Amino acid sequence: MGRRCITAADLFLPAIIGCSLQINVLPPNMTDSTQIRRYPPGDLAIWIFIIAELLVFGIFFASYAFARANNVELFNTYQLTLDRQSALLNTLLLITSSYFVVRAILSIQADNSQHCIRWLLAAMAMGLMFIVVKSVEFAHHLGAGISLSTNTFYMFYLSLTFFHFLHVILGMVILTTLAIKTRQGAYSATQHDGIESGASYWHMVDLVWLILFPLVYVMR
Amino acid sequence: MNALMKIKSCTWIYWALVFLTLITYVISRAGYSGLTVSLSVLVIALFKGQLIGNHFMGLSRVRGPWRWVIFIWLFIPGSLIVTAFTLAS
Repeated sequence: MGRRCITAADLFLPAIIGCSLQINVLPPNMTDSTQIRRYPPGDLAIWIFIIAELLVFGIFFASYAFARANNVELFNTYQLTLDRQSALLNTLLLITSSYFVVRAILSIQADNSQHCIRWLLAAMAMGLMFIVVKSVEFAHHLGAGISLSTNTFYMFYLSLTFFHFLHVILGMVILTTLAIKTRQGAYSATQHDGIESGASYWHMVDLVWLILFPLVYVMR
Repeated sequence: MNALMKIKSCTWIYWALVFLTLITYVISRAGYSGLTVSLSVLVIALFKGQLIGNHFMGLSRVRGPWRWVIFIWLFIPGSLIVTAFTLAS
């Protein structure tokens, strides 16, 4: 109901600016999350963006795996230099953050914007901790003189993790915007497409890390 | 499903994700390696990804092609990774 054309701005900024394409088959006043829908939660535009991002990461993952197939010893040796405890911590931080975002969505669906803001702030705190832990890891590598040109393993490791790191930062910007807009009363139990779009993006960031973690840090 | 049930459901999913992550880490710390271990770890990761897609992203309540977006994404790179690791072993 009520569809309109997707513009470039809709494609890249819907979650940030909180605009909302009416894409659900349900009428706007029927947004019960338990009902079966034709389209995923949030704006269709953000899902097109998510698919594009996932394609890029998918190509990255496959490239890593096939590059490793030609340099198994090199990859296995340098994989042991990575900090797996930090990677575990980062995984738990992102999973917890995603859970907090789910709770934020459930809160706004219950028309409780105060709880929604608290859950979003908690999710942002987890995201911020991820950024700190990952920054320390990057600083350690750079301090040891490791760069993209050190070897093939580090080229993949640094580019993959830094690319994901940039997505976490963008996700933090989105979560911050969602918290501000929720505080301004932009979302309610009957109108929360914008916040669902931002949440979907954040879950995508988590999803990518869930594959990246075992692939780069564990599988050998 | 009322709000309390939804909270309980997603909380269970959250603990399942934490548990599976810890299993992956324990496998890593124990120093296990080889094709079987790697593929088992990958299957755990793909399963976790599907849990995120279905329960956190809400795709379990979507009908039609959109429901399979995350599954297809997990399946294609997952298959390529399996192929590459099998070739390397």
